[in-house]
Amino acid sequence: MSEMNQLETPEVESKPKKRHMGIKTQRVISNTIIHILLVIMSVVWLVPFVCIVLQSFRVESTWQVGYIVPQKWGFDNYIALTKTDFFTWYLNTFIIAVFTALFQTIVVLCMSYTLSRFRFRGRKGLMRFMLIIGMFPGMLSMIILYRILADLHLTQGNAVPGLILVYVASSGMGYYVSKGFFDTIPKSLDEAARVDGATRMQVLFKIILPLAKPIVIYTILTAFMAPWADFVFARYISMNTSQGMNVAVGLYSWLNKDQIAGKYTTFCAGGVLVAIPVTVLFMFLQKYYVSGVTGGAVKG
Amino acid sequence: MTKYTELEYLKLSKWRKFLYKIACFFVGIPGWFVNLFKKIGSAFKDFGISVKDDFVDIFTTFKNGDYKTRLSFVIMGFGSIARGQILRGVLFLLFELVFIVYMIFWGGYWISMLPSLGTQGAIKEYDPIYDTYVTTYYDDSFKILLYGILTIFFIVAFLYTWRLNVKQNAIAEEILKSGKPLKGTKDDLKSLVDEQFHKTLLALPLTGILVFTVMPMIFMILVAFTNYSGEFDGKNNLFSWVGLENFNQMLGWSAGGVNYAATFGEVLAWTLIWAFFATFTNYFLGMLVAMMINKKGIRLKKVWRTILIVTIAVPQFISLLYVSKMFAQDGLVNGMLLDWGWIDKALPFWTDSTWARVMVIVINIWIGIPYLMLIATGILMNIPQDLYESAKIDGANAFQQYTKITLPYMLFVTGPYLLTSFISNMNNFNVIYLLTGGAPTNAAALSPGGSLGYTDLLITWLFKIAINDSKFYMASVIGILVFIVVSVISLIVYSLLPSTRNEEDFQ
Amino acid sequence: MKKTNLIAGALALTMAMGMFAGCKPTDDPNSSSAESGKPLAGNYATKIWVAEAAVEFTKGQIATYNSSNEDGIVIEATVEAVGEGEAATQMTTDVEAGADIFCFAQDQFARLVQAGALSQLGQAAGQIVSEANAAGVVAAAKSGDTLYAYPLTADNGYFMYYDKSVITDESHLKSMELLLADCEAAGKNFSFEVEGSAWYVASFFFATDCKSEWTTDEDGKFISVNDTYNSPEGLKAVKGLHTLVKSKAYNNSSAADAFAAAVPSAVLVSGTWAYNDILEILGENLGVAELPSFTVGEETFHLGSFSGCKLLGVKPQQDAKRSAALHKFAQYLTGEAAQIERFNTLSWGPSNLNAQKIDAVQANPALAALLAQSAYSIPQGQIHGTWWDIGKTIATGVKASDGTDAGLQAVLDTYKAAIEGLFTMSDEEKNAFTVIGSINGDTWTIDLPMTKVSEGVWKTTEAYALVENDEFKVRQGKSWDVAYGDNGQNYKVTTAGTYYIQLTIEGEVGTIELIPA
Repeated sequence: MSEMNQLETPEVESKPKKRHMGIKTQRVISNTIIHILLVIMSVVWLVPFVCIVLQSFRVESTWQVGYIVPQKWGFDNYIALTKTDFFTWYLNTFIIAVFTALFQTIVVLCMSYTLSRFRFRGRKGLMRFMLIIGMFPGMLSMIILYRILADLHLTQGNAVPGLILVYVASSGMGYYVSKGFFDTIPKSLDEAARVDGATRMQVLFKIILPLAKPIVIYTILTAFMAPWADFVFARYISMNTSQGMNVAVGLYSWLNKDQIAGKYTTFCAGGVLVAIPVTVLFMFLQKYYVSGVTGGAVKG
Repeated sequence: MTKYTELEYLKLSKWRKFLYKIACFFVGIPGWFVNLFKKIGSAFKDFGISVKDDFVDIFTTFKNGDYKTRLSFVIMGFGSIARGQILRGVLFLLFELVFIVYMIFWGGYWISMLPSLGTQGAIKEYDPIYDTYVTTYYDDSFKILLYGILTIFFIVAFLYTWRLNVKQNAIAEEILKSGKPLKGTKDDLKSLVDEQFHKTLLALPLTGILVFTVMPMIFMILVAFTNYSGEFDGKNNLFSWVGLENFNQMLGWSAGGVNYAATFGEVLAWTLIWAFFATFTNYFLGMLVAMMINKKGIRLKKVWRTILIVTIAVPQFISLLYVSKMFAQDGLVNGMLLDWGWIDKALPFWTDSTWARVMVIVINIWIGIPYLMLIATGILMNIPQDLYESAKIDGANAFQQYTKITLPYMLFVTGPYLLTSFISNMNNFNVIYLLTGGAPTNAAALSPGGSLGYTDLLITWLFKIAINDSKFYMASVIGILVFIVVSVISLIVYSLLPSTRNEEDFQ
Repeated sequence: MKKTNLIAGALALTMAMGMFAGCKPTDDPNSSSAESGKPLAGNYATKIWVAEAAVEFTKGQIATYNSSNEDGIVIEATVEAVGEGEAATQMTTDVEAGADIFCFAQDQFARLVQAGALSQLGQAAGQIVSEANAAGVVAAAKSGDTLYAYPLTADNGYFMYYDKSVITDESHLKSMELLLADCEAAGKNFSFEVEGSAWYVASFFFATDCKSEWTTDEDGKFISVNDTYNSPEGLKAVKGLHTLVKSKAYNNSSAADAFAAAVPSAVLVSGTWAYNDILEILGENLGVAELPSFTVGEETFHLGSFSGCKLLGVKPQQDAKRSAALHKFAQYLTGEAAQIERFNTLSWGPSNLNAQKIDAVQANPALAALLAQSAYSIPQGQIHGTWWDIGKTIATGVKASDGTDAGLQAVLDTYKAAIEGLFTMSDEEKNAFTVIGSINGDTWTIDLPMTKVSEGVWKTTEAYALVENDEFKVRQGKSWDVAYGDNGQNYKVTTAGTYYIQLTIEGEVGTIELIPA
């Protein structure tokens, strides 16, 4: 940062004291302004969510209305959920999320660790190839993936294992963030262990993995969160079979024209129940998420 | 354009340096292409040479080999088994058997049907006994294409394995000649967790990518050259190859007939504008928020951060759908503004093209700032504090500190991230689909199926064409064009970026 | 080297799995009949898709059918809730995995036929359906002359709901302009989803006697269109549309909850399906009426509408016995008794002529409004799926236009171009001549092909039996831009016989001759 040199201004040093006082009042003012800004932002950020929560406790009507605070409060909408397939969807999503988190983490770690630590023929080419295919819009693939899964009988009612398979199988492409992390662990650690006679596998399990806790948690967290929000691909695969839907698909179906008037507040209640575990988990593991995205951004 | 010497260049102001760099880049483009073609040419040449070498190598292996080696040319793995490398040999042999059985019973059929994509569609017949119609299905173009591609994959894999098998024999013979012992099954297994550990680790992930990412991609590219659609669904009515017909229509090459070149240009322009604003508004505002929260003397840092993060944690289909309804013509926001008397006519948030375009960018800020805030927080903490200290001593004000230290540092580290985020914004399906579904409709645009909206990105347009109108062939033409646009942009930006991405730097 | 082996092995396994599953289906040969007299007796595993609201009702119907039918058919059904629009999308995606029997809205019909998702009705079934239902409804289930579905309801139209507390003067119900003024004065909305679908836009065009009639062949493929939107009458229609969309009360919605929105609606154009929800929202303030009229200059036009229906389809089956049994069941589900019961439980307006006559149906306010509107409604025939999207751009175009004649005309021109774009033809097709008219049992819908004999001479590929007073024209590229008849009039057959039709063009003049076969 050579520009620093240009900032020399001799007069500052001649009257340091007065200037200091100015800075202090200035800081108080600017901090107050920032606090006010942050409060405003927080309100803007939270209003929609507060609205959704309030709607979910509204009893007097089930459709969209023009006011926010319910006239009559109650758990009716949550009770109404029990009469739908909502909890089947919820369980489906939970199963998908757990298995995806487990297998996807293994796949991603395998990929990223290998690409970070090993130097083998074709490595650069492989990475470039994956970069290039990553640029192809994946949206269309779902038409083919549907047919492959249909041939394996993993659609409709069996969509849950089908979705896990697809999520996990294509997850190797997302190795970038954790490779960036592995790159930061000094190679000398591996070499020392290798000299001591450890095999490559032992190096991975005994030395690297314990150090990689943040990135492992980051990977699990992102893999666990994604299935809760997938409504395009999951809708295509479940083909309207309630048994195979995830929460996103199920809830989304309540917003179509025939159902919205009767199911709107129930949708809000379902939304709240979906958001709670994901949000809570996210809040707890925020630290790791930050380290993950920061690492990913820095390494690109 | 004047060329500067290195010394002259260093004397230039920052701004000039930047302009100079860009100018250099564009002047360099023709050369770059010449280079590219040269590279491609030499790659072909290298490939040709290596193929030739391979054939020579195979031939000499056969000529010089013993009977074990020679027999392995037909019975894969024979040499390995005969020399005591049981595991390798058995795997080779098994693979060969599976391949032969597969090709005889299934593969041959799929490959032979590939050029025609099927000859007989479904047939409907009247059954007089039951007074009803029955349908009999014959060929299925979709399956022919799908399993045809897989069979080609399989054949390539087989050829590669066969080549390996030959090489194995040559190596084994050489080792035996030099008097050393061959590696046995036990050694093979052991090396899988040691020297060859990367192969063990990559096997599954790469298979997954091959079958579930690469194969669909190839399929989709091929669909652009067929007429696969709701009308020619492949089973009821077979689809067939149509050559470049679809590209003619999309790009307006064919004179006279319907073409969508203008519409494509329009959507592409908006997609780029959207991606630009979505990326940079989030980037700068996110950074600003991070700096605000991290500033000395700001209380409850964690609380602010946590509140903002809610938009990341709550699934978008809930939050965005709700926001979209809030801003509807008769939604909460308009209702309140009317009640308060601030407006006397509902604001056209989603119904006017300009409003809608601005709105999606603004709401994207709501969704996107938290990510950038997290990233920026992490990076800001890495900036050495003494830089700021000395800047302060030098009397730099907050704004100067920002432009001279924070911003350059951030840009320097996050350059590649900006690129990836620009590209993912180009393909940002969720925000557009959930907020507007592409609305308001663009009455003047000519689209190959259904309508096109002012906020439609290429990706949502493609989705509409494929899912709502079942014109898969047109959707995959757009897919290919998106791919080309994205890779050109990446190429340009990558060559502009300072080369900060040397992998080995960090280790 | 091990890696390759492993990958190859895994690949082989994955592929083998896929391939085994992907091998060609074998025909099912067993279709032996059971005990004599009841050839259809047996258990049938059946997947049924109906709208969410009808799931319980349908389950009840299945139970009744199983216990009462005389054929010994037992339907073992899984009933799934699938929206009527969604059903068509899913069926076209994967017919194999789709439902055996499914309910869908009429506008999806052609798309389903084209995708091979509907099986043709047997002769007996076809006869019963044609006799029991109104002609317009039967036409909706036909592609070409072939019946492909069972009419289920005949209430798929729209009319007007209003809030009596806002629209106090009943005389205003006759005029769109007065209603808009009332809404504006009260700060309420006038909801009419003209930007959402051509279905609603059509209301204005039907008012001025414009039409958009489409013809399908028996495979569901669209072969021609007769569209008069782009005409002086059409211009009047868009002027009316302009009055609506430029009003500050205009809101683009047809959903019941528009009456409860933050800016509530006082008028909503929607259909019978919204009745119960709106009744719950508005209570005794609910008013139901036929659509109003709009005024352009001196003329007044009563808003028109579509009258459509819901249909029940049976997926093509590979086994004749099963096919026959499922058709029997579908026939039951759409029969008179089932329709009456469906009306009693779900208030769905019947399509069956006898069921329409019962008192309860006649007394239902929503159906009564639909009936009042029916004088101005047009039966919704087969319409190209993309038209719904193209048509709605008229409303957005009008909204964005400056309202001058030229601006509005430009909107119609764009619409025309889009419609023509639907029939993309090769140059060969564009130059080819065809014969069209009230000949060969047709009524100006089917183009009979001609082949070029020599430069400027075209002759029909086949000979046709022509009857005296048959009328026809010869046209180029299936459009009327270049067409020949008898001095601008239709060519009239004077002597019956079997003829080839031949056209000879010399400069601007085309001469038609009948050449006896």
